[in-house]
Amino acid sequence: MNGNIFRLVILALLAVLALPFAAVAQDGEVTDLGEGDLKVSFWHGLGGSDGATLNEMLVNFVDENPDIGVTAELIPWDTLYAKLQAAFLAGTPPDLVLMHASELPQYASYGVIREMSDWYTSGGGWLPDEDLAPSTYGGMHYDGVLYGIPLDNHGMGQWINVDHFEAAGLDPDGPMPDSYEGWVELFQQLTLDENGNNAASDDFDAENVVQWGYSVRQYPRVIFLAHLAQHGGSLVSEDGTTVTVNSEAGIAALQNSVDLVYKYNVSPVPAGFNAWEGYANGALSVLPAGTWFLNFSRTIDVNSKAIAFNQFGPEPAAWFGAHTFFVPAILEGEKLGAVETLLQWVSANQGHWAMSGQVPALLSVQASLDPENFPSNIVMGASFADHGVVDFSSTVTAELYRTGLEPELNAALNGQKTAEQALNDAAERMQAILDRGE
Amino acid sequence: MTGASARPGAGPDWRPAWLPEINLKRREEIAAWLFLTPFLIFFAVFIGRAMFAAVQMSFYDWHALRPSRPFVSFENYEELLRDDVFWFALKNTIVFTAMTVAGTTVVALAAALAVTQPVRQANFFRVLLYMPSLFSVGAVGLIWVWLLNSQFGVINYGLSFFGIRPVNWLGDPALVLPALSLTTIWWAFGFPMLIFIAGLQGIPEHLYEAARIDGANGRQLFFNITLPLLRPTILFVTVTGVIGHFQVYGQPFIMTNGGPGRSSYTVIFYFYHTAWASFRMGYGAAVAVALAVIMAVVTVVQFLVISRRVEY
Repeated sequence: MNGNIFRLVILALLAVLALPFAAVAQDGEVTDLGEGDLKVSFWHGLGGSDGATLNEMLVNFVDENPDIGVTAELIPWDTLYAKLQAAFLAGTPPDLVLMHASELPQYASYGVIREMSDWYTSGGGWLPDEDLAPSTYGGMHYDGVLYGIPLDNHGMGQWINVDHFEAAGLDPDGPMPDSYEGWVELFQQLTLDENGNNAASDDFDAENVVQWGYSVRQYPRVIFLAHLAQHGGSLVSEDGTTVTVNSEAGIAALQNSVDLVYKYNVSPVPAGFNAWEGYANGALSVLPAGTWFLNFSRTIDVNSKAIAFNQFGPEPAAWFGAHTFFVPAILEGEKLGAVETLLQWVSANQGHWAMSGQVPALLSVQASLDPENFPSNIVMGASFADHGVVDFSSTVTAELYRTGLEPELNAALNGQKTAEQALNDAAERMQAILDRGE
Repeated sequence: MTGASARPGAGPDWRPAWLPEINLKRREEIAAWLFLTPFLIFFAVFIGRAMFAAVQMSFYDWHALRPSRPFVSFENYEELLRDDVFWFALKNTIVFTAMTVAGTTVVALAAALAVTQPVRQANFFRVLLYMPSLFSVGAVGLIWVWLLNSQFGVINYGLSFFGIRPVNWLGDPALVLPALSLTTIWWAFGFPMLIFIAGLQGIPEHLYEAARIDGANGRQLFFNITLPLLRPTILFVTVTGVIGHFQVYGQPFIMTNGGPGRSSYTVIFYFYHTAWASFRMGYGAAVAVALAVIMAVVTVVQFLVISRRVEY
């Protein structure tokens, strides 16, 4: 009897220890859809809440196209780029891959992705060129040739906790500030210590904050790019040869975010703070996040509302990019036909993609969205159309960002360097990368 | 068809007549080579060739997908010498390795001593303590990110009962390497524990009996018998530990992404960033070759220092 109990305890322990494996196994998942003999392998990095909508669309596609199956593999973005490099080298890339438009020049310059001009109406195809916003359409080009099919305009906005706003006596439906000082004041009113004092109060205890007004944790690069543009700066000079990230505008832009943490105490130190979870648990009032947050917002017990991205500088600006489909240059025959069918179907069903919160790439679909069902798409989409800024486009963009800029932004926001020092260090590394890439 | 002669006591000789007689030493050598050959083929194809390719690649401006790969001689190595991020990552790697090897060795030895005591269910505890080693680095990283979380982490929750304010384990530049090291010690001490158990079982019991008769206490037994006779085991554990932990990558990749800032950059993490995220395979290869050389030097030094006092 004792032996049985002992074995039972061991089995229970093993089961408990195995739980993490089950949890981990759900990430990096492969979804095999459809019974069709012609299988399209598809890689993407939509690990945010928008991935669920993509899967719904693919299920609908294989239902309507029984001859074609889709094996969709979700891979975190950074890993996807590394894996893709190896796959191209080995000559075994997926049949279709979804990446960011900013990656296009690099892969196009290597000659590993297919020219897509023949799929646009200007080349006799089915995707109307004129139905894309100029910035999106321009981002599909490298050396004057079209290389991608855009899925959306995804970009930054903000998600606010309506109950926090109302509790602080703020109107969540009213106009938002249009200056840094205005936003600081708003964040101060929303930041509360454990005694209920807000950050504007003389009695505020910055060591015991239970509710933060804002967080600089998420997406520091794209937020910086927007704030940089708001201050009239740019990452690189107009001729593309000189890094200008450490200009006065750049330093002012980064200093704004740094001060929210260390001067005004309205944002936690970013490292170690999980902003999405903080927002979900009521510990954060204004979450800078993008169009992709919609599905997640529906799963949490927070009265949320999407608003446009904040304005810290003199001019408004909001970062946005485009999820873009690419096809390997080596793909041909039936597989290429199946991929074209899939992309044509996805483009025709961009209205469904809008349910993920993302702004569809096609202007006609954007115009068809109704404010009642798609409020976040519309408010953020309008900001992208009005004052959107996109990534710097070059063959070394990935290296500029990942090796040069992002670690320095991270260092400044975590108090390891001053804004000026961080941007000077970033500029030095980025200039070397740019010079080497020329 | 068999050989005409057979050595006394060696049994019947099934050697074909055309095969010359081979002496025992030669036969043992042949047997050894036959056993080694599969591994050597594997080594040559999958490791030796890759090492050679890496060294070769480090002399080129080699972007994996770019058609042209110009020869740049020692330029990658010259850049490496000037690259402050590489040196910073190397310093981090050395600090991490020192903390982790020391911690793993001490914890593994303590665990081995505990589970070799004559207690009931000792095997159960051996299995239990070894279990973390079976986890993948991905699972370990994700588990510990939550355990160490500054907002909701169990560790901070436990510390709060002692009046300790929440600690930002993975966000504080001064704590991030110790936190990664702590994670790794928990994950990795199982294998050296097994090695120590084997080492402890190899110490003759009569040495302890004689010492006890002479009045030695437990502390004296440990420091004068156990520890000296475990030196070969300690050498093995530390040398393999240094080699393994010098190549740390998964923990910073999953738990901190090298941050905050570059506070948890390690050499292999930097190699990944350079070669795979920034596509600079040639420079990445130079980083990898430099690390291999440094590890070889460290290993030789370790052997020279520790093996002087090893009693086999």
